[in-house]
Amino acid sequence: MVDVALIDHVFILAAILFCLGLVGVLVRRNIIFMLISMEIMLNAAGLAFIAAGSAWGQPDGQVMFLAVVTLGAAEVAVALGLTLLLFRRYQSVDVDNLKELRG
Amino acid sequence: MTMTELHALLPIIVIAGISVVLMVMTAFFRHQRLASLITYGGFIAAAVLVAGQTGSGPQQATPLLIMDEYSRFFSLVILVTSLAATMLAYDYLRRSDVFKEEYYILLSLAVLGAVVLVSSNHFAAFFIGIELMSVSLFAMVGYMVQGRTRRAVTLEASVKYMILSGVSSSFLLFGIALVYADFGVLSFSGLHSLLGLHSTSSYSQIGAAMIVVGLAFKLSWVPFHMWTPDVYEGAPVPVTAFLATVSKVSVFAIIVRFFIESGAFRLEALVQALVWIAVLSMLVGNGLALLQQNIKRLLAYSSIAHLGYLMVAFIAIAGSNLANTNLAVEATAFYLVAYIVMSLIAFGIITTLSSPERAEEAETLAHFRGLFWQKPGLATAMGLALLSLAGIPLTIGFVGKFYVFAAGVAGQLWLLVGVLIVGSALGLYYYLRLIMEMCKAPDTEPAISREETPLENRVVLSALGLVLLVIGIFPNGLITTVHAAVAVLR
Repeated sequence: MVDVALIDHVFILAAILFCLGLVGVLVRRNIIFMLISMEIMLNAAGLAFIAAGSAWGQPDGQVMFLAVVTLGAAEVAVALGLTLLLFRRYQSVDVDNLKELRG
Repeated sequence: MTMTELHALLPIIVIAGISVVLMVMTAFFRHQRLASLITYGGFIAAAVLVAGQTGSGPQQATPLLIMDEYSRFFSLVILVTSLAATMLAYDYLRRSDVFKEEYYILLSLAVLGAVVLVSSNHFAAFFIGIELMSVSLFAMVGYMVQGRTRRAVTLEASVKYMILSGVSSSFLLFGIALVYADFGVLSFSGLHSLLGLHSTSSYSQIGAAMIVVGLAFKLSWVPFHMWTPDVYEGAPVPVTAFLATVSKVSVFAIIVRFFIESGAFRLEALVQALVWIAVLSMLVGNGLALLQQNIKRLLAYSSIAHLGYLMVAFIAIAGSNLANTNLAVEATAFYLVAYIVMSLIAFGIITTLSSPERAEEAETLAHFRGLFWQKPGLATAMGLALLSLAGIPLTIGFVGKFYVFAAGVAGQLWLLVGVLIVGSALGLYYYLRLIMEMCKAPDTEPAISREETPLENRVVLSALGLVLLVIGIFPNGLITTVHAAVAVLR
């Protein structure tokens, strides 16, 4: 069993990372940076899983982390494809080019 | 893994097989007819396998997946819906100049994700299912950007969907991590004796809230709905048809199972938040639908409203009276089926009328003006779907709405029932406006093509129209099926 106070600290770190990532997705206009911010959010969740798994002494947390990493890779593979399409059309990776739909 | 487990997993293996076969085939030669036939065959085979297992009792296959009547019912619904959606898409894809086979690969992967999702009773399978579906879906929205018929809005829709889908998965995962940190279990039933009972700590409360936020994005509940109209408008319409039905229904089916099996309804603050989300969804969805001139956006806002109606029944499950709870679960499942039938017809007709050669889709009111005079069959089906969405008697939509209404009244949710009535009244206006438009005298230069409707589309649309009417007049058959399907959720 890991020290419980330590778990709280790890979770605070994970929460900070998660918020940083969220702010990054919201304020950045460059799609590459938005994808990096998304990865930070995902990995914050991964860190939380590792911490929780070690607190309970179970492998489940690490298994979930592997699933998270796999998802991150799959998502980025598709996302980079879209980024290429964006760059070909507008010669930039700025998402402000995309404003035809009034959301 | 034992033979019985393998037998229970066979439908999922068959669906996975479709995408593998198609991927290998596409690497060597491309043939849209063959790819579509493999997909139809796979979906039919998987549906027959699922139907064959009905009544054989619950079967836990590995700790991750459970095959019981509830997951079988929704697997069957998803497979039949996907079959119909693929058949409706065939002609649209044939006429467009993008790679066509990829649509079938991505669609079968998304269906695989949806079936895994509705069969999961463990967070790991839940997460893998939902992500398999979302990643395939945003690839489906985006990959048709290439080619001569590219529409600028498609790229925008896919980028938006990709970013929001990623953010919502992160919320979901962080929520799961928090709940796991609190209790050390990842299975839904393992949470049942823990969540909301012993002095629940802030970890699991925040965690449950984050899970709901993550799912709310996928279900486009207000205030997490901003992407919906843009993605519906920007995506190619066969993809929209799939997105609006399968992805919404599978996520809703699993959120019902999750809430019942994990006991999350005991978190009172969460249920209170859900009530306000439901009120906002019904009001904002119907209110903004009134302002739309684009049919795809109109249907997007109307789907937000319909998910709000579904939430009335969903929240009624939280009640303490067991009979009312059963009624509410049944109402949810029935309304989900009704919602699929209605939306699939509406989007199927837009698909049929659209002409990818001209890089436009039949999404403005002009495309529908005078449709009754030009294509009476299609216009009748569209009229039926719209009447059903509005909840007019003799249609499946009426029975569904009545069911939801009954569940809301039995659960004494007066606020929600009141908003449901106001929302339906607003809805009547914009659905009937579209029907009026179809009855007007046609323009001299009709905006739609004069081509014959392809046989596949005619068969699927008539079958769906028949289902809409028959279940609307004799709902007993579906009610009995739904009753048996939801009885396993305790």
